[in-house]
Amino acid sequence: MDTQFLVSLSIIIASFALYIGIAIYNKAKETSDFYVAGRGISPFSNGMAIAADWMSAASFIGMAGTIMLLGYDGLAYIMGWTGGYLLLTFLLAPQLRKYGRYTVPEFIGDRYESHSARLIAAICTIIISFVYSIGQLSGSGVVIGRLLEVDARVGTMIGVVLIAFYAAFGGMKGITWTQVAQYIILIIAYLIPVVFMSLQLTGNPIPWLSYGKIVGQFQELDQQLGISQYAEPFLQGSKWQFLALMFTLMAGTAGLPHVIVRFYTVSTMKAARWSGAWALLFIGLLYLSAPAYAAFSRFILVKNVVGQKITELPAWTEKWINTGKLQIADANGDGILQWQEMVISNDIVVMATPEIANLGMFVIGLVAAGAMAAALSTAGGLMIAISSSFAHDIYYRILRPNASEQNRLLVARISIAAATVLAGLVALNPPGVITQIVAWAFAIAASTFFPALVLGVWWKRSNSAGAIAGMLVGLIVSLGYILAAKYGGFSIAGIVDTGAGVFGAAAALVANVVVSLMTKEPSQAVQEEVYDLRYPEQMTYKDGQVWMR
Amino acid sequence: MRQIDKKIADSYFRERVRLIVIFLIIWFIVSFGVVMFAESFKNMTFNGFPFHYFMGAQGAVVTFIVLLFINAKLSDSIDKKYGISEERNEQLSAGKTLDH
Repeated sequence: MDTQFLVSLSIIIASFALYIGIAIYNKAKETSDFYVAGRGISPFSNGMAIAADWMSAASFIGMAGTIMLLGYDGLAYIMGWTGGYLLLTFLLAPQLRKYGRYTVPEFIGDRYESHSARLIAAICTIIISFVYSIGQLSGSGVVIGRLLEVDARVGTMIGVVLIAFYAAFGGMKGITWTQVAQYIILIIAYLIPVVFMSLQLTGNPIPWLSYGKIVGQFQELDQQLGISQYAEPFLQGSKWQFLALMFTLMAGTAGLPHVIVRFYTVSTMKAARWSGAWALLFIGLLYLSAPAYAAFSRFILVKNVVGQKITELPAWTEKWINTGKLQIADANGDGILQWQEMVISNDIVVMATPEIANLGMFVIGLVAAGAMAAALSTAGGLMIAISSSFAHDIYYRILRPNASEQNRLLVARISIAAATVLAGLVALNPPGVITQIVAWAFAIAASTFFPALVLGVWWKRSNSAGAIAGMLVGLIVSLGYILAAKYGGFSIAGIVDTGAGVFGAAAALVANVVVSLMTKEPSQAVQEEVYDLRYPEQMTYKDGQVWMR
Repeated sequence: MRQIDKKIADSYFRERVRLIVIFLIIWFIVSFGVVMFAESFKNMTFNGFPFHYFMGAQGAVVTFIVLLFINAKLSDSIDKKYGISEERNEQLSAGKTLDH
């Protein structure tokens, strides 16, 4: 057991103690608090909570590595995961806030007046959140694996226990303030290494301004090494794949149940708009830094690691080889490491950066704590989404309308534990790298919820038959495309599994519109409710008249 | 509760929609638009970056953030113009969802 281990572990334990302390302080007592934190959290704090909820292990651990390995093509993740907030804030969040329900399946069930639609939406929520949480658990496996210098799979198992305990413990009330704390820790942990690296490599402490020069230099360096050009567009996939992936991530963002539910925690439509703006500002801080990480790490690898004797590689490489995420093989037997002889997993770039740049034990520990915060906060939000779909939408609203609050809380907690363990089992042998798994969750969200929610809010003629047809078609098309592309080698215009959302969303939209028009229009009451969403709270639409309250 | 002219309510809605349409057009141009023509921006540089790379890594994201804040600000002033009071909105929405 070395000093580094003790330092990292104590920083992680200290940060956990802080989160648990906050959770105990705010311990949820009533179901209304369990799901949406009472009401009236300020847009500024809610923005931070959304940002922590949002920035998952994929963002914190995986994204910089993805960009480093994909070059320009990886930027689809940056634009996709930020641009979705415009769709969400412009098209959905304020209106959903005015409609005012606890969960997304509840909105869909009530807006479309159908228990079948509610059930399908609840099942979609569970599928999306489940797939997404696989990515989180496999991320926490990377962190814990590195910390204990064990295989990432053992790390995943430890992560499962932590997350199940953590999410079942408090409700969203605890989670809102915990997430504010988690945001602060994760953003500090993310920025410190990149600022120091910027200073070391360029002499300028502001990475956003300085890394352009590094990106510019790659042109020459890559040519010398004979590797693919970093900034050259569309080398890793077609232009259509880039556009499809970006659309999938944007529309998926606007349809993710655990993110939408965060907008129910603010008081008004106005507060929802401001929450969206603050959230993207806080999220942007990390997303603007990820490409800087990618450029700096790649620069160090190209300059200091590639071309060295294999026996004289820096010490940090050995620890990562132990986790199974870094592989080095001297294929041509010349004793010197070539770029092609190194297989580096996307998921270790951020975690390894402080070691690569020699930033000292404290920073390494801080980054580990930040990564755990990212994985935990998102997993917490996802588990709440799963448990509320099950306990609230399926159990309470459909199966047992008479269930007591205590009973429902118990069901919620059991479903959290079950979901975490199941997701953990899948994460033991993850079917892809973190960013890829997460992109599938977005493809499903973009194909099911995005069309159903947008039409539900903006088109009063959309009815239950249309919504059911749309969600089912979207689910089948997106899942089918992911499986066919991943395992069957199928593709249209070079669009692979991660871009599946574009087909799912289009099919779902058409199905919803066509089936709605072929069947009876929704009841007068529902049409008025939808019309009413055009106006702020103070204006009410009734019988063709508008009233000011 | 007092009735207001439906035309006034409609023009409130129209103003909000107009804003959203303008913002979404800008959103589309800085993200999808730039990607579609990425090859033609390759040889322009901005702050050391090739321009298409700059837009993907920074330009688009900063534009998104700015648009959201402008939206929040302008929507507030539309609310004000139509005499919407945020305090009243808060009162009206309090507890609204607890009634099932």
